[in-house]
Amino acid sequence: MSPARTTLVAGAVVTAGALLLAGCSGTGGTSSASPDSINYALPANFTPNWILPIGTAAHLNTNNSSISDSLWERLVAYDGSTGKVAWNKKASIATAADFASDGKSVKITLGDRTWSDGKPITSRDVEFWFNLIKANKEEWAGYNPGKAPDNWTSLKTVDDRHFTITFDKAYNSQWMLANELVDIHPLPQHAWDRTSATAAVSDADRTAAGAKQVWTYLNNAAKNISGYAKDSLWKTISGPYSVKSFSTSGKVVLAANTKYDGGEKPGIATVNLLPFTTADAEKNALRSGSVDYGYIEATDLDQKDRFTAQGYTVKPWSGWAITYMPYNFNNPSMGAVFKQLYARQAVQKSIDQDTLAKVIFNGTAVPGYGPIPQGQSSDFLSPTQKNNPYPFSTSAAKALLTSHGWTEQGGVMVCTGPGTGSEQCGAGVAKGTKFQMQVLSQSGSTVTDNMMSAIQSSLEKTGIKFTIKTAPVNSVLSQTPQCTAGQSICSWQLSFFGTAGSWYFPAFPTGDSLFQTKGGSNFGNYSNPDVDKLITASTTSTSAQAVQDYSAAVAKDLPVIWLPEPDYQISVVKDGLGGFAQDSLANFHPAQWKWTGQ
Amino acid sequence: MATFLYLIRRVLQAVVVILIVTVAIFCLLHALPGGPARGILGPQATAQQIAEFNREQSLDKPLPVQYFVYLRTLLHGDLGTSYTLNESVAQLIGQRLPKTLVLTVLSALVGLVLAVPLGMWQAVRRNKPVDYAVTTLSFVAYSTPVYFLGLILVLVFNHILPWFPAQAPQGDSLGQVFADPAGLVLPVAAGAASVVAVFSRYMRAATLENLSEDYVRTARAGGSRQGAILRRHVFRNSLTPVVAMLGYYVPVLFGGALVIEQLFNYPGMGLLFWSAAQSSDYPVLLGCVLVISIATVVGTLIADVVQRIVDPRVKAGEV
Repeated sequence: MSPARTTLVAGAVVTAGALLLAGCSGTGGTSSASPDSINYALPANFTPNWILPIGTAAHLNTNNSSISDSLWERLVAYDGSTGKVAWNKKASIATAADFASDGKSVKITLGDRTWSDGKPITSRDVEFWFNLIKANKEEWAGYNPGKAPDNWTSLKTVDDRHFTITFDKAYNSQWMLANELVDIHPLPQHAWDRTSATAAVSDADRTAAGAKQVWTYLNNAAKNISGYAKDSLWKTISGPYSVKSFSTSGKVVLAANTKYDGGEKPGIATVNLLPFTTADAEKNALRSGSVDYGYIEATDLDQKDRFTAQGYTVKPWSGWAITYMPYNFNNPSMGAVFKQLYARQAVQKSIDQDTLAKVIFNGTAVPGYGPIPQGQSSDFLSPTQKNNPYPFSTSAAKALLTSHGWTEQGGVMVCTGPGTGSEQCGAGVAKGTKFQMQVLSQSGSTVTDNMMSAIQSSLEKTGIKFTIKTAPVNSVLSQTPQCTAGQSICSWQLSFFGTAGSWYFPAFPTGDSLFQTKGGSNFGNYSNPDVDKLITASTTSTSAQAVQDYSAAVAKDLPVIWLPEPDYQISVVKDGLGGFAQDSLANFHPAQWKWTGQ
Repeated sequence: MATFLYLIRRVLQAVVVILIVTVAIFCLLHALPGGPARGILGPQATAQQIAEFNREQSLDKPLPVQYFVYLRTLLHGDLGTSYTLNESVAQLIGQRLPKTLVLTVLSALVGLVLAVPLGMWQAVRRNKPVDYAVTTLSFVAYSTPVYFLGLILVLVFNHILPWFPAQAPQGDSLGQVFADPAGLVLPVAAGAASVVAVFSRYMRAATLENLSEDYVRTARAGGSRQGAILRRHVFRNSLTPVVAMLGYYVPVLFGGALVIEQLFNYPGMGLLFWSAAQSSDYPVLLGCVLVISIATVVGTLIADVVQRIVDPRVKAGEV
């Protein structure tokens, strides 16, 4: 070989060799698999970025909340850690909530607890939270006009461990506990009640102006993510864990709080919360054994045996949620059709939820026929909803349409009998209207794409043309807002943003946001005065029947297209990790995790 | 002096180009229906929270006003704050850009170190079986999507042969990134493959062209050996088109990084851009576009300047 060739080839070989030498130091897959630590995979493309238990809606998503709840326990913690959604007193600061017989107030008893700096947790710490929220409710993520804190008229301290909250009217105690009092986080007033980093701790929160300043100070401090592990502000905690490190790229390390005196003692000293760019990247980490508690997608269930052989158990994690496709009742071209109950019944009867759940979701979804989650047994579910009021039958769906003035022309139903008679198309539906609708559906999921194609196929058998347009979930939400017929944004007809479930409920599944007239998340502008009354009754009545009545009415009235509810996550858990049930409220609770041995 | 004036002219052109890019991206982003509030705050956000978000982010103001507010803050060195990541865009880019640069620069370097000798080697063996074989491999590598190539690399070198990790280094600092060289192998290999494929072709063509030049024939006639001719004469002259193309290749490298970062769980700027696009995080999108525009403009500028230095004919205006 000539010198020139030798030089050229040597260059290439040296480069490749250097790469190999640099790289050949093992695969770096380091599962914790030790009793002292655990590697937990955060959802793909999620970066934890907030620990303060109060903040704006942009910050308080469920994973951030899970982290902050590990640092500052809630007054009343609800979770599904025992297999059923209920008040978990071991993870709560309060030990009792005694409602007045008239349902207009509640007296809370605090446990004999201390902050990590040794100071007692008192009613003043609850009052501090209350004052901050009252003065800054517009910015608070949990605020809904008319609800807490609007409907809490006062908080009166009885003594250090007892206080009373009074309401504007009588409420269902279960609803008040599970959906409103659950938001309260006792906060360390003795450390946080200041208007700036240099100001002294005072009672600033007791004036509205002061409370606003304290809120601003705390929220600004919380924007400094790199300070979470160092800033003394975040060292005064009540929960089972403290922040050991908090990386801006997403990795969070929690260390057991040695001063914790609550009921949910941490079982693992170090919890590593790992960020992943995609589900595929997370799956690769699982395969290499560097994750102890991770997840796979429904389409990967055929690889279950492979994970089992690697020492993992695949555990579906069902959510306390419902999945649906809202109709836009104000859409200029199809709104009038959607307002006809028979038309909505025909659509619902054309959707074969059993087959979708079994085939498309690989058995990782449960059919849902109404506004109450059906993945878990509960007292809220009415027999009407449970028994599916509109079973799948495209022939029955077709008959419904033809009996109401629709005729199939070229495979699509066309209104040939306009009018408001019982055998006519209904109010506002013009002659010649074609039954064709378009969904703006969440992109990025094979399962969702397959489900939409299956729905398209079955609707076609009924004579309903269904077209599918896709966009990222944020775009779907942005492009399908509440609207009036005259607005250009009101061109959407159906919306789907439920690949991981459309709506996760708090413990008490009411429909005030979803299905009440002008409800904040009633995207399609559904309105039914009878349903409004039932929703109001469900939050104020002391009878459990009220929720069941609401469940039955909404299941029958079809404000949306009901769809199967997918599991929140298909977890892959290292053998030996146990001591907990996966929380259907979609939160994780590191203190409940234990290495139990294999 | 001429080079200095040339530089000044090119820098001014670059500023105008970047300004036009920001206007175009700003208008396109805001033309998206619905706005970002509902998407970012989620389905459970109330109308009040959406209004508050729009007010906080000045999204309730007319578009020209929003643009001039953005431009004014930009001139003060403030790229805004991410809607979703709770950090200033400058901080985010400051954290992520070095990681992306490590990936792209390493990919480009490894790719070039392999491509340049490979291209020359092929030229010397023009139309021989090895030339055809390498050409075929180059076309395969060039036409294989980075994502697919990355998956193949993970499958072979992690799942089947557990030699390298499937994840890129997870540290925040560059020190931590370089402390895990094994983690860089597969992502860099995925990024370098297309560089090798493309630049070996350029190098082969340029070398062939130079080998047929009169000065090579003269050198041969003077008794110079093939190796000496290649090293002393052909190598430098053949580099000219490669250097020029490298500047234009900057956006391609960033595009490749976007895919590689996702696949290898490497949170760099490509991934930041992708996530921001998914969530309509306007400040981050604008910040990333600005950085990529600057990188592209600077890349081409450097390529032009280097070309003037490497090839005197450019300076003289002969080519």
